[in-house]
Amino acid sequence: MPMDEITLDQAGQEHDHKPGFFTRWFFSTNHKDIGTLYLIFALIAGIIGYALSGLIRWELAEPGIGPLTMFVAGEGDAAVEAAKHFYNTVITYHGLIMIFFMVMPALIGGFGNWFVPLMIGAPDMAFPRMNNISFWLTAAAFILLMISMFVPGGSAGNGFGGGWVLYPPLSGLKGHPGPAMDLVILSLHTAGIASILGAINFIVTILNMRAPGMTIHKMPLFAWSMLITAILLLLALPVLAGALTMLLTDRNFGSQFFVPEGGGDPVMFQHLFWFFGHPEVYIMILPAFGIISHIVSTFSRKPIFGYLGMAYAMVAIGFIGFIVWAHHMYTVGMNLDLKAYFVAATMVIAVPTGIKIFSWIATMWGGSIEFKVPMLWAIGFIFLFTIGGVTGVMLANAGIDHILHDTYYVVAHFHYVLSLGAVFGLFAAWYYWFEKMFGVKYNERIGQVHFWLMFVGSNVIFFPQHFLGLHGAPRRYVDMAEGFQMWNAVSSWGYVITLVATAVFFVGLVEAMVRRRKAEANPWGEGATTLEWTLSSPPPFHQFNTLPVVKSEGGH
Amino acid sequence: MAHGEVKHDYHLVNPSPWPLLGSLFVAVLALGFVTYTKGLFGLEPGTMWLMGLGLLGVMYVMFGWWRDVVKESRAGDHTPVVQIGLRYGMILFILSEVMFFVAWFWGFFEFAIFWPERTATWDAANPIYADSLSRFADWPPAGVETFDPFHLPLINTLVLLLSGTTVTWAHHALQHGDRSGARNGLILTVVLGMLFTALQVLEYSHAGFTYDGTLYGSAFYMATGFHGAHVVIGTIFLAVCLIRLMVGGFTPQKHFGFEAAAWYWHFVDVVWLFLFAFVYVVPYLVLG
Amino acid sequence: MRALLTLLLTGLAAGTAHAARPEEGALGLQPAATRIMERLHFFHGFVMVFLTAVVILVLGLLVWVMVRYNRKSNDEPRRFSHNTLVEVVWTVVPVVILVLIAIPSFPNLYYQDAEPDLDKIAQSGDLDDPNVYPEAAEKGWLTVKAQGNQWNWTYQYPDFVDDAGYAMEFVSNPLHVGLSDDPAHTQDAPRNLAVDYPMVVPANRYIRYQTTASDVIHSWTVPSFGVKTDAIPGKLNQGWFLVEEPGVYYGQCSELCGVNHAFMPIEVRVVPEDQFDRWAETMMEGDYDAAAEIVAEIEPLDEEATRLAAAQ
Repeated sequence: MPMDEITLDQAGQEHDHKPGFFTRWFFSTNHKDIGTLYLIFALIAGIIGYALSGLIRWELAEPGIGPLTMFVAGEGDAAVEAAKHFYNTVITYHGLIMIFFMVMPALIGGFGNWFVPLMIGAPDMAFPRMNNISFWLTAAAFILLMISMFVPGGSAGNGFGGGWVLYPPLSGLKGHPGPAMDLVILSLHTAGIASILGAINFIVTILNMRAPGMTIHKMPLFAWSMLITAILLLLALPVLAGALTMLLTDRNFGSQFFVPEGGGDPVMFQHLFWFFGHPEVYIMILPAFGIISHIVSTFSRKPIFGYLGMAYAMVAIGFIGFIVWAHHMYTVGMNLDLKAYFVAATMVIAVPTGIKIFSWIATMWGGSIEFKVPMLWAIGFIFLFTIGGVTGVMLANAGIDHILHDTYYVVAHFHYVLSLGAVFGLFAAWYYWFEKMFGVKYNERIGQVHFWLMFVGSNVIFFPQHFLGLHGAPRRYVDMAEGFQMWNAVSSWGYVITLVATAVFFVGLVEAMVRRRKAEANPWGEGATTLEWTLSSPPPFHQFNTLPVVKSEGGH
Repeated sequence: MAHGEVKHDYHLVNPSPWPLLGSLFVAVLALGFVTYTKGLFGLEPGTMWLMGLGLLGVMYVMFGWWRDVVKESRAGDHTPVVQIGLRYGMILFILSEVMFFVAWFWGFFEFAIFWPERTATWDAANPIYADSLSRFADWPPAGVETFDPFHLPLINTLVLLLSGTTVTWAHHALQHGDRSGARNGLILTVVLGMLFTALQVLEYSHAGFTYDGTLYGSAFYMATGFHGAHVVIGTIFLAVCLIRLMVGGFTPQKHFGFEAAAWYWHFVDVVWLFLFAFVYVVPYLVLG
Repeated sequence: MRALLTLLLTGLAAGTAHAARPEEGALGLQPAATRIMERLHFFHGFVMVFLTAVVILVLGLLVWVMVRYNRKSNDEPRRFSHNTLVEVVWTVVPVVILVLIAIPSFPNLYYQDAEPDLDKIAQSGDLDDPNVYPEAAEKGWLTVKAQGNQWNWTYQYPDFVDDAGYAMEFVSNPLHVGLSDDPAHTQDAPRNLAVDYPMVVPANRYIRYQTTASDVIHSWTVPSFGVKTDAIPGKLNQGWFLVEEPGVYYGQCSELCGVNHAFMPIEVRVVPEDQFDRWAETMMEGDYDAAAEIVAEIEPLDEEATRLAAAQ
């Protein structure tokens, strides 16, 4: 890593003027407090999103429509009809919550806010007050989304049940005329504004506030990953906002953008959506890439292998991310040569991704690896992300995607890269920085149990879904056809394992908060070389009153 | 070393109520909008007070927030490094706005260029959709009378281009300490901005197509309408700068608020040139 | 070893499909009923070789570094952070793999997506090329239009027009919709797959299928045919397939379309040409139930076993 030579004046860092409780947490302009708020928020949203996925697995554990009828009004067949729509809303809100209100707030808002300024030696974010509105707008967006679940969607019941991709006409007046879909649109607008403002904040912070001597090529990889993520957010989200605005006016003011009866084109929505949607998946995974790099380096006690290659692989992934969107739309009846282009462009992504995987292994090679909890999550991430990545290569080929599109193969693929990828990265970061953020130590044993249960459980959930998908099981089905029973049952048992894992996670959290083992400034030893480890745990309310200086010879 | 002495030039902003309040009012605004269009919480569709409350709240927060920014600037919080950050921030904000307009152009181009492809695969045999074919089977669709770009739109182009020069005049005057020149330039810019909006309203009132029910109208009004909204925002931004100038704000060295307004104005200007070229002129010349 | 690998990679996919339906506990693709799907079988197995190799390589490397370079085995970490050779290797080798994958991928894509030129195929008369069917090509296209509705399919046969000028058309409703009065599911009427009036096409004919929708987006697919095409309101998409072996083949709507998305299955009965003709004639008379009775039992082909069946 670049900054193994750091001069730092630790004096004056105990100086903490913390404002009163209400001012501190509701009017905050402190990047660490806002980061903590984001993490708490993501935890709450994550519990809700995870509970929704529990409903999915419960319903699919056995044939027929059973468990969900308990959550809807009516008796007998009326309850079954209501449960069908309820299932559609469950999968929709599971997706929206996990993407916009769990993974993004946790990785970008939470860990990004906490550690980008610390890692680059800045006292705070560039626009601390704007940082706070990013958080509160996300919270407002979440409340709008939650309200939308309980207001009329269409004739079928409350909430919007058209999938997180919001394809019209199902999301238009024809499919869901009620206010629920309008609230979903405005929720995503609000979350989008929050993310755009956050992205501007990160980019300016990283460009303008690096410590003296920290050139862009000495910047920690997590900061790199956040820089690229922020650029993707800045360029992709406005296009989604445009598509959503068109949808909103189609629904409310009679415009015809996506209304076929008026000559509009529903497929155009898909283009606009995926022009945002594909960069969005990299927005979710790139921060995890950055985190994994630091963890692998720290616990191998070795500098990151191929630092520049790692940084520019992320740049390449970000760039290619903008020119492959239509591989989500191979079955819409696209021009054949256009399809061929998207196949070729999509396959190219495998190259920079491969560079990252192999560079992580090369970082460990020759190292002195200690299997602390964060490292377990990181190694788990590398292996599982590889599985998710190779199925992505399969899906990139339009020929075979014609039959795999919209099946459980796709579900398995994106959960391997996001659930077992981004979320494993998230847990890795949680344990890696736990002491630093909260000033107490977590219990190593509990953390290990959490990892192993989660590793086994999530694989049991998602690996069989490859078989289901290959065999033709379609996504978003409340009741599977004959022949898909066994693997669905297995998958649902996997969920039960993760339920235990999640309980262990909370036990670990409570245990750490109750025992209050005193944190060290740097619990990981010489392998942890980035600037946050030079500060106390937790860091002072305002750090780096005197900026740290990164000496020039610390390069690669 | 003295304890807690801040030895850097970054701006550590004090805790502020605006973000929380602003988000609250944004949520109220959103709920108010849906109440207005669809009815919510037992309120009838058409109920406007909730949306009005949200809008007023948002505007109040904007006012309070930016007043604080101006105060902080005067208190000397905007050191050179902070000013660089503000500049980056404004550029990035404009970049995101550009991407917002990409969506409208995307829609317009899709409808204007690819209609032969869409016609070829249209399910015209289907009685449900046979009728809609006529709404895009040509561009502009049959029955849609588009604007002659060389009447009002051309005048508007000249108005906006002129306003671009007047704002530059104001900027140069400000840099050279000529405050009355800056004031005159700004007043002219604001007036030209309002003139543009007025002419646009006039043009809309003569339109041969509507927003609702027609594809062309949807694409046209969405693109030009959002541009118009940006003109209004830019005009307000410039007007605020004018007021600040008249009450003694800005120095020849430090006037980033003005510069941000000018950048924004140029951005609005460039978007218009694209609109004029591709929404008005090219279809008019190519498709007649 | 090769055989084991094939079995591992394609799962229970071997064999032709006489009644392709999901098999409990299956690991792989549904059996191929068309040349398109047969090629996809090969392609999937081919790509899986590389994917499996990559995963095993990564797993092997991870295990190796965990065993060899843990704190107990290696207390003193080395400090290197560059090695140009391996960096070039792990950039170039994936590129080579991707090129190898692309070699069958693009021809496959064009084979299934570009509509074959039947005149050319008929003239070529090449009976040995498994990709073309000259005898079928001579008979020309049979077109079927599938329109997705909330929540059933309307099938239209534009080649069969009555005296009034209307094309043969019927609605194919699901038998099971998850409610208490659903009929029992049987071997002939598998749960959530069977319909009242199935789509019927002749074996060994080039079928051009078109998809569209009347309300929201649906997607028409039969996994064992290797085809899936979105049914988009207003838009007419199309594709083709040719089934060699008569049988019953099932698919399910593959684009979320609302409440009963899980309950609008696709049932295709592929029958010998003369049985198809009898079915079509009865349909044209308007007696749907009698027509359904005609295709209830699938008759065998007169000819010798087909190529796909002979391949076993």
